[in-house]
Amino acid sequence: MDFANLASQLNAGAILPEGIVIITLLVVLIADLIVGRAADRWTPYVAIAGLLAAVGALYLGWNRLETVSFLGSFNSDNLSLVFRGIIALATVVTILMSIRYVEQTGSDLGEYLTILLSATLGAMFLSGSEELVMIFISLETLSIASYLMTGYMKRDLRSNEAALKYLLIGAASSAIFLYGSSLLYGLSGGSTSLAGIAAGIANSSQSLGVLISLVFVIAGISFKISAVPFHQWTPDVYEGAPTPVVAFLSVASKAAGFALAVRFMTIAFPSVSDQWQFIFTALAILSMILGNVVAIAQTSMKRMLAYSSIGQAGFVMIGFVIGTESGYASMLFYLLIYLFMNLGAFTCIILFSLRTGTDQISDYAGLYQKDPLLTLALSICLLSLGGIPPLAGFFGKLYLFWAGWQAGAYGLVILGLLTSVVSIYYYIRVVKMMVVKEPQEMSETIKNYPALSWKPFGMRPLQVGLILTLITTSLAGILSNPLFNLVNASVADVPLFEAAVPIRPAAPVSLQVPATPLSAVVPQSAPQAQTLNVNLRS
Amino acid sequence: MNLAEGVQTISFALLALMMIGAALGVVLLDNIVYSAFLLGGVFISISGLYLLLNADFVSAAQILIYVGAVNVLILFAIMLVNKREDFSPVPRRWIRKGGAALVSVGLFALLGTMVVQTPWVIPANLPATTSTLIILGEHFFSDYLLPFELASVLLLMALVGAVVLARREYVLDDEASVGEMPQLPLQLPERPKEPVALSGTSAPSR
Amino acid sequence: MQLNLFLLLAVALFCIGIYGLITSRNAVRVLMSIELMLNAVNINLLAFSNYLDGQSIRGQVFAVFIITVAAAEAAVGLAIILSIYRNRDTVDMEKFNVLKW
Repeated sequence: MDFANLASQLNAGAILPEGIVIITLLVVLIADLIVGRAADRWTPYVAIAGLLAAVGALYLGWNRLETVSFLGSFNSDNLSLVFRGIIALATVVTILMSIRYVEQTGSDLGEYLTILLSATLGAMFLSGSEELVMIFISLETLSIASYLMTGYMKRDLRSNEAALKYLLIGAASSAIFLYGSSLLYGLSGGSTSLAGIAAGIANSSQSLGVLISLVFVIAGISFKISAVPFHQWTPDVYEGAPTPVVAFLSVASKAAGFALAVRFMTIAFPSVSDQWQFIFTALAILSMILGNVVAIAQTSMKRMLAYSSIGQAGFVMIGFVIGTESGYASMLFYLLIYLFMNLGAFTCIILFSLRTGTDQISDYAGLYQKDPLLTLALSICLLSLGGIPPLAGFFGKLYLFWAGWQAGAYGLVILGLLTSVVSIYYYIRVVKMMVVKEPQEMSETIKNYPALSWKPFGMRPLQVGLILTLITTSLAGILSNPLFNLVNASVADVPLFEAAVPIRPAAPVSLQVPATPLSAVVPQSAPQAQTLNVNLRS
Repeated sequence: MNLAEGVQTISFALLALMMIGAALGVVLLDNIVYSAFLLGGVFISISGLYLLLNADFVSAAQILIYVGAVNVLILFAIMLVNKREDFSPVPRRWIRKGGAALVSVGLFALLGTMVVQTPWVIPANLPATTSTLIILGEHFFSDYLLPFELASVLLLMALVGAVVLARREYVLDDEASVGEMPQLPLQLPERPKEPVALSGTSAPSR
Repeated sequence: MQLNLFLLLAVALFCIGIYGLITSRNAVRVLMSIELMLNAVNINLLAFSNYLDGQSIRGQVFAVFIITVAAAEAAVGLAIILSIYRNRDTVDMEKFNVLKW
């Protein structure tokens, strides 16, 4: 196997965006190493530039002819491109809101950016992986980076504790996921590519082994998207972790989880599609109900958003379980919108807590008098999350429910509508609190609200992020046509969903080398192998 | 039963007994140091099992990495957090233990049934390869190249992150902010009132 | 058949790991339980690799990756345990209740 042949087989151009992210990561790390703290002034912008360049590279890769790369490990089809774009953009906004936060808490910015970028890298690779080992490694890159970022404020008790809980639950869930994967490897007779697994288990689809591995794999994935029985870590981690990290987890990590779910279920489990659709329907119902109902009772803003994000994941799952093309398109569309509105809300929370040091909902009372811009932005983002008409979130939900209704999932759609109404209640409660008129209803924190200043280091990017998400959240719904064309194109060209029933041939394996010499060598030099073989035959 | 087969069966039985016994010790013993050493025993018996499965390289890697690195790391951690600590008894703890035992036994029954029931498709007449190292190397540099490279990023990130988290910071640097306003009120929940190292061992009350 | 024996052994180890995960009060012991679970997965993979995939031993490749990641995860986990121990002076899971569990 000569080198040129191998290089062309690898189709390495497909991972150009990830390559750019890796180079950015190394530049940030080495610059921080050499220059020291002074590099903090420009490394965040290097990271943002690198991520935007990666988004550009994703754009160039649109409608690529040869999508499968690295001998079947990675598939850079249009669907993965959209998911990777969502993840990279989420990281850009996260960096914008992180700079001031990390500086003010006195942590190291360079290492923070390094870990954040590697989490992004893992999430981007996860969106296109089509092979168990690749899925595992990218999943772990994302997870371990998330644990580290959660515990990044190491002098804070709550951050420590959140990191420990997240790590223990996360590692256990990845062990369960792995156990399911190992069963799949055995059931398919020794294949680790998703397509090969589908071919291998096609005959024995209703057996106990396939069902158990399906459940185990779904348990691992649901942990990432924090669907309800697997959500216990979410509120604690969201409350304890640094707020920008929470923003990243709630958007990028979740999007990667959905990308994995779509790819894994549609490619590897077409033969048991009824079963996994049933399981995900149950998860969606539980998530919508529990997420939205428990959010009402919360007093901490971050914790409320944690439960609301569980509920939002439930809405997104509607688009996934109905399994039609428009369902997947609406799911992608909602994730795109959710990116901006949720990150917008988190930017506002960070700004508020940077100025006052609290995130209790009651402390927001009367904010309108002191900081109209922040009030406006937070109100718009929250109302959009709730799905109030002219804003982006409304159109996202409209498309989701419409797709669900067309596919005949009436119960799910009605439940979605009901829980949306519930969610509007607790979002509006915050908005109402902020715009109270009477000065005596103002909270103590607001009375001592510091003078507005965008001067300190890191405040400008925060402002940019705020304005950017605000504008997108207000306008993306009305001008949604280009976005909608994008997501439609991304699911239309992919053979993935047409192939939800037929099975694609396994990726060609180029390991012909061992085949010939081994059969000649083995009989003489492998006494143990022979004995084992004897056992097998007997 | 010929000799080779007998040796295999006996060594399998011995290793399996060792492994299960040591694993039970890991989760059941009260003294955490014993648990850590028994964990080493589990790893070593598993590497023996790997030899029975014709996996010479993985067996060596198991000893080198699990026993040599992970287990030593765990022992170090135990020594570093080694405060003789009698966990205060929690009421009705046996209920949780019983529940956990029930869950585990139930799971064992379920998975065991699955293993026994499933007709594993064993290809006939295909002897296992002996040149595992060569084939592993070829896998790493052909169809598993991408995960192989990504693993390097993962290790780098874990290294950086573990250093950042475990590093002890004696003084809070005054130049915490490269920008202006270094003396912000710092009322962020994430900001401690005082550096931990200076406050001694007393945990901040919150 | 021998494959089943190995698989049953892995199941037993996995369930012991689950038991330890639920009942342990010492955070370090929880980490050990997770290592047990990962090792059970590895036994599974190697057994399948030997009996079903003897020619191209993909299971062994997978197992090597799992060993790598498990080591990284253990290092990160112990770093987190160290940092929480500095702040709280305990590794008792029952006392980690600043956040509502």
